[in-house]
Amino acid sequence: MAALLRGLRAGRALRGLSRVVGAPAAATPHSGLRGFHRAALRLQDESKSDKPPSSSSSSYHEHYQAHHEQDGAEAPRGDPTSDPAAEEASRPNTSFQDQGGEQDEEYETEEQLQARVLAAALDFVPLHGWSTEAIAAAAETLGLSSASTGMFDNGAGDLVLHFIAQCNSQLTEILAEQHNQVQLGQAEAKRTADFLRDAVETRLRMHIPYIQSWPQAMSILLLPHNIPDGLKHLSNLVDDMWYYAGDRSTDMNWYTKRAALTGIYNTTELVMLQDSSPDFQDTWNFLDNRIQDVVNMAATAKQAQATGETVVQGLMGAAVTLKNLTGLNQRR
Amino acid sequence: MAASMRPLLRRAIRYSHRNISVASAGVAGRSGCCRGPSTCRCFSDVAGDRSTHFGFETVPESEKAKKVYKVFENVAQKYDTMNDAMSLGIHRLWKDILLHVMHPQPGAQLLDVAGGTGDIAFRFLDYVRAQQERQKRRAARSMQTPSWADISNSYSSGDAVGPQESRAVVCDINKEMLRVGKQKADSMGISAGLSWVTGDAEELPFDDDLFDVYTIAFGIRNVTHIDQALQEALRVLKPGGRFMCLEFSKVTNPVLSRLYDEYSFKMIPVLGEVIAGDWKSYQYLVESIRKFPDQEEFQHMIEDAGFYCVKYHNFTGGVVALHSGFKL
Repeated sequence: MAALLRGLRAGRALRGLSRVVGAPAAATPHSGLRGFHRAALRLQDESKSDKPPSSSSSSYHEHYQAHHEQDGAEAPRGDPTSDPAAEEASRPNTSFQDQGGEQDEEYETEEQLQARVLAAALDFVPLHGWSTEAIAAAAETLGLSSASTGMFDNGAGDLVLHFIAQCNSQLTEILAEQHNQVQLGQAEAKRTADFLRDAVETRLRMHIPYIQSWPQAMSILLLPHNIPDGLKHLSNLVDDMWYYAGDRSTDMNWYTKRAALTGIYNTTELVMLQDSSPDFQDTWNFLDNRIQDVVNMAATAKQAQATGETVVQGLMGAAVTLKNLTGLNQRR
Repeated sequence: MAASMRPLLRRAIRYSHRNISVASAGVAGRSGCCRGPSTCRCFSDVAGDRSTHFGFETVPESEKAKKVYKVFENVAQKYDTMNDAMSLGIHRLWKDILLHVMHPQPGAQLLDVAGGTGDIAFRFLDYVRAQQERQKRRAARSMQTPSWADISNSYSSGDAVGPQESRAVVCDINKEMLRVGKQKADSMGISAGLSWVTGDAEELPFDDDLFDVYTIAFGIRNVTHIDQALQEALRVLKPGGRFMCLEFSKVTNPVLSRLYDEYSFKMIPVLGEVIAGDWKSYQYLVESIRKFPDQEEFQHMIEDAGFYCVKYHNFTGGVVALHSGFKL
């Protein structure tokens, strides 16, 4: 709806100042600078403003975009912890807030604002867990009232889904980058098993900063209203991994491969939750073993099929020989 | 008892016959100013004075506020009892759901406009207190074995109250309603974090950017200029603040709508007469509900005032709608 994509203006200089002054924003609710804010929103760079936000609702969009924009994907798109303060300070504070002014108009949609709040909320997860308190604390650092958590109907679920979507898009970028390198001949192609192993490890390493509270996140994903979205993200992730591993199958293999990788990913994630070895070495060993299992099983299946065919041929030969011996084959 | 009820009912039936017809606005000669509108209309067109609706009557805008004041002055004492009787107690559920949707965080500042007897404010304070208790309990559980650093910290932070305490401000144009609300608060023993302010929703006596949540429950249809009230709401809210409006609205289901109309026009004024001794005020109430814009239209009005992410939820099949918007 066009009405939703409205222009929101904020004074750069005052924002810059207020960022310095009001950093513990909860403690200074009456700072006069706040009064100047028509909307206490940080404005996005032009390079960001036309990028779709990595929210759960648009993850399909991103999923397919990733395949098409491999070279166009800029790093900040999926950047989880882009510090708003840093990017504010780097921009020159030249204009004051001017409600009717036309200069330096930068616009942000509601979805982009929500994405920013969720990205900031990830910083508060170690303290508050995956909950609306984390989102409220993040909203306050961005200069919004804690009541703005009402924008997120799903509360903690929105936060977890946003994080997962972000991790998935980061992984996709990394895999696309590796693919480019191989295309350009700057790197060697890995074997499928190694490629998948590295992809799963890279993806699971993104959980490490939040590993203490990850069980809570997983339980939130298992809530009935979150299960469809969680499964959607998981299936997209596994599909991406196989795609970049080079799978172009169009038969039953498509399903069996993804099912196998889903099983590997989920079990490794669970193992990681209770792993206390240095740098999660036990988890990566477990991952190696599981991938090896699948590889072995595939080889065994092929062998069994070949053996079966040979056995059948042998049996057929024995039967013909018997018939010859007993004279049943003669035609009188 | 029966004898005294009979003349009452006879008068009730006479009134109901007159007032059921929707088309004839202002025909019932209930109030003195009914003769006024017809003459006023002639003069008003000439003089440029605008007129608005007061129930199904048409009155000059300058008069509506006074008439509404009279209505609520009359009903203030029996307001809560009548609410329970008319809605069969369901209004408590509506207000509880409002609080659950609001989900206020500790430290939030609430402004309850047209809050009158303070129902929303009391619930808000209860909710926030319960949340704070829960947070304290969670913190205590995780600190079963505090280190020496934690213990010394808890000693030194004895003076700091911590984050801002949550406060609820009840604002109403009608002093009688506020008085009843204050009595209720005293009898319930709630005093901390609660203030009572007389003020007009179209011109709030507060500075800009003060409140986290602005609620108006069953009050906005009595305001003469709704768009002004919405703009005032936008003004006093902090950036990121939430506007929430609980109001009677259009019932979508035709069967339910028919039942609801019958109940409204036949039962409610009778209840008003029997319990509160005031037929006309409750006639005004049901008529003003019909005059209020429906869910979609009100949503557009809120968006026009400058709120974002405006949504509404229907309760009880559309009898009540909760609209919510954010100042972003």
